[in-house]
Amino acid sequence: MWFILPVLGLILGAYLGSTVTFQLPAIYLKYMSIAVLASLDSVFGGIKSIMEEKFDGTILLTGFFTNALLAALLTYLGDRLGVDLYYAAVFAFGVRLFQNLATIRHHFLINYRKKRSLRRGEKSE
Amino acid sequence: MRKCIPPLLIVCLLSGFFLAYQLKIQTKNTSFNAISQRNNNLIAIIQDLEKESKNQENQIEAMRNQLNEMQNQNNQGKLQDLQIQLKKAKIDAGLTPVVGKGLFITLDDNKEGLKNAPTDDPNRYIVHSDHLLNLVNELKIGSAEAISINGQRLITTSEIRCVGSVIMVNMTRIAPPFEIQAIGSPKLMAESVTLGHLGILKTANYPISLEEHEEIIIPAYKGDLQFKYTSPQ
Repeated sequence: MWFILPVLGLILGAYLGSTVTFQLPAIYLKYMSIAVLASLDSVFGGIKSIMEEKFDGTILLTGFFTNALLAALLTYLGDRLGVDLYYAAVFAFGVRLFQNLATIRHHFLINYRKKRSLRRGEKSE
Repeated sequence: MRKCIPPLLIVCLLSGFFLAYQLKIQTKNTSFNAISQRNNNLIAIIQDLEKESKNQENQIEAMRNQLNEMQNQNNQGKLQDLQIQLKKAKIDAGLTPVVGKGLFITLDDNKEGLKNAPTDDPNRYIVHSDHLLNLVNELKIGSAEAISINGQRLITTSEIRCVGSVIMVNMTRIAPPFEIQAIGSPKLMAESVTLGHLGILKTANYPISLEEHEEIIIPAYKGDLQFKYTSPQ
């Protein structure tokens, strides 16, 4: 039951987020949504890498922070230039989210089918 | 599997935090618009300042009344001459309400025209500061002696200017319908105006009325009059 801990972490984070009373200035709302997307992307990326059995904690953490930073930088630059570069980050994270989810689904399906066929094989014997 | 828990825990914690926080902000923000909030603040500031300036105008008026009383007391000898001179100077400066024969002009935005041509540029249907300025100039050409727009007495320092969507006269916002009152020869003024800008506005279908009145009352200038740089030569 190793996955209980991360789920608990998610719940704890959500609890902290909902109890925090700190008021963010309206200008930074964009950055906040980018941060949400970056962290979600990292979560699904992590799950995917576990499924593919090539999980690396350092890669996950550095990926999370550099992605978030890069996205924030892009948003800032876009604000300065008057181009909504912010959408580029949203788009990139969105696409990756979908891809990660698709791979996770594939793996689940493949694992499930393998088990079923194994069971059938046992029965038929 | 053990090894992968701490990093994943951190990421999960952070994403849970961000998600919940963003959700909270968004649900709070559905009825909240940063720009309109700012506008509301500005509106409140403007209203406060206008209230304050109104108060101070009233104060000025009270003080002027007091001054008038003092000036009207003990009129003997040479003082009487001075008082008569002062009275005349005040009328010239526009510091007293005046009454006389004159014109009463009302002017409004051409709302009908805009309604009939909604795609047209609305600037062609509203009354601009230049219209008022031209009308006032033409009234002066027609020998107007005292003029007011929407109760604002025009004196030597009065401005008629456009500030965004409103017109300011004597640093006070005025809005359509505009009522221009002028004391002077009604015939001359009417002629000057109808041959000039009033005619132009009329052909542009602005709702305009021009009446000659036997008695027109024009209020005194309510604002402050201070000459910091000017002194008699």
